[in-house]
Amino acid sequence: MKIDLLQMVESGGCSAKISPKQLEEILKYLPLPKDPNILVDIDTHDDAGVYRVNADLALVLTTDFFPPVCSDPYEFGQIAAANSISDVYAMGGDPVLALNIMMFPAAKLPIEAYAEILKGGFDKASEAGVRIIGGHTIDDYPPKYGLAVIGYIHPEKIITNAGARQGDSLILTKPIGTGIIMAGHRLGLANEADITEAKRLMKLLNKSGAEVMKKYNVKGATDVTGFGLAGHGLKMAMASRVSLKINMKKVPLIGGSYKLADDGCIPGASFRNLDYADEHLLAVEELDYNLRMIAFDAQTSGGLLMSVSHDKAEAILNDLHKAGLTSSVIIGEVIEFQGKYIHLEN
Amino acid sequence: MRIVDTKGQLCPAPLIAVKRALKETAVGESIMVLTDNQTSFNNVSRFLKDNKTGFLVSAAEGIWTLTIAKTSGESPQVNAEDYCDSSIAHFGKGNFIIVISSDKMGEGDEVLGHLLMINFIKAIKDLDKLPLKIVFYNKGVTLATNDSPVVEFLKDFERMGVELLLCATCVNHYSLADLITIGTLSNMFTIAEIMASAGNIVKP
Repeated sequence: MKIDLLQMVESGGCSAKISPKQLEEILKYLPLPKDPNILVDIDTHDDAGVYRVNADLALVLTTDFFPPVCSDPYEFGQIAAANSISDVYAMGGDPVLALNIMMFPAAKLPIEAYAEILKGGFDKASEAGVRIIGGHTIDDYPPKYGLAVIGYIHPEKIITNAGARQGDSLILTKPIGTGIIMAGHRLGLANEADITEAKRLMKLLNKSGAEVMKKYNVKGATDVTGFGLAGHGLKMAMASRVSLKINMKKVPLIGGSYKLADDGCIPGASFRNLDYADEHLLAVEELDYNLRMIAFDAQTSGGLLMSVSHDKAEAILNDLHKAGLTSSVIIGEVIEFQGKYIHLEN
Repeated sequence: MRIVDTKGQLCPAPLIAVKRALKETAVGESIMVLTDNQTSFNNVSRFLKDNKTGFLVSAAEGIWTLTIAKTSGESPQVNAEDYCDSSIAHFGKGNFIIVISSDKMGEGDEVLGHLLMINFIKAIKDLDKLPLKIVFYNKGVTLATNDSPVVEFLKDFERMGVELLLCATCVNHYSLADLITIGTLSNMFTIAEIMASAGNIVKP
């Protein structure tokens, strides 16, 4: 029996995130703990929390889990793990330990699928040098999987959403479009090559990108996931009190993403993300409608969005290309805050 | 009229079907889109609005019907509000708004006044035409809370495309923010603008 996880879900991967608008409403009522050792919390909408242990060591903590983003259980495990670990890389940390988080419908799916998902997660974690030392499973439908990850970081070398500075160049390390391609895949509209490429990108660890950031002492970065390129850019702009100017024509897209979007294959998550960001968005009049929606396409295990000083940008790009992140490109710049946090142009 | 039945389909299949229909339909023809999924309804509506394509909405028994009039090549420009103002009976919107400024209707006994207001709101659905919007302010916002005796009626109106606007200052004043999940919080400028531009205001 061939197991097709994708037929079980309406919105897989990071598309299944709760609306950022709702999340913000809820979090308003949760007081943030006060502790001088908490170096990064949700206040800056960052990818992970950071807690100082001593002057030289802080812990990066993060968790992420989601319903299937692809059909094959082993690949789903790999993608979910790469996505979970990515938050540690985005903060400039070294991931070390993890726990499995699994929801699995034992009565509806063969137990082999369970084993395959875990194996995918284990293999991807090993590639990242992460040891999985436990986990927890609940019987639930549809399946969901991810990791809770702990990483090490030097307390003074944390890369956050708040580190973007006016004049910086914006570099994106992976093409976008995974949300569109995988939605198209579910409907039988996407071509095989694009699906394979989307899966390859989702499985690709942000490890090498993070190493380049550390080498060049980059201060501001995030990974692009469920809120889309523009959504995560917005969080970065807000935390840094700047505006990000993104040229959508320069943003690399996976294969036929544009054509699919033009055919109307725009996942619900894009509308949700756009809805959240609308009031902070300044799009030029002539901005192509499909490109605007693609800017909000929810990415699963997307690339790093880095804010790097203009004079280092070329050297950083070179290193990224050498590290195999050949799609890395400058997609815009950081400008003084001008009433709207995100500027999209053609 | 071309019918695009997307019942049972999940996002983004309905939007794909609508875009395809828009491409294939001749100018002057109209398209009727059926969906039973709230998210798809919201997203198709947003898509049409963003592309300045006019459409009308009706809803019954969990099915939304969007009627799109294709009036020009790529992006038909029809003002939805104009359509709503016209008297196409089956779309059921009249050129009026309702303003609920209190949890009571009329002067006199308070218990009676509250009961009357509840009955008034329940009676709206039996009117020949629904209002375009219902605006709640001052004690009126208390009728929109989750434990209000008319909340289910208000949800129905919302599903039928009646916009519910709640005065945010009032919601905060009565500390109801946690208890309200319907409608849109609105500021006084918007409320003033809506009242000033309304064809008729019905105020019980």
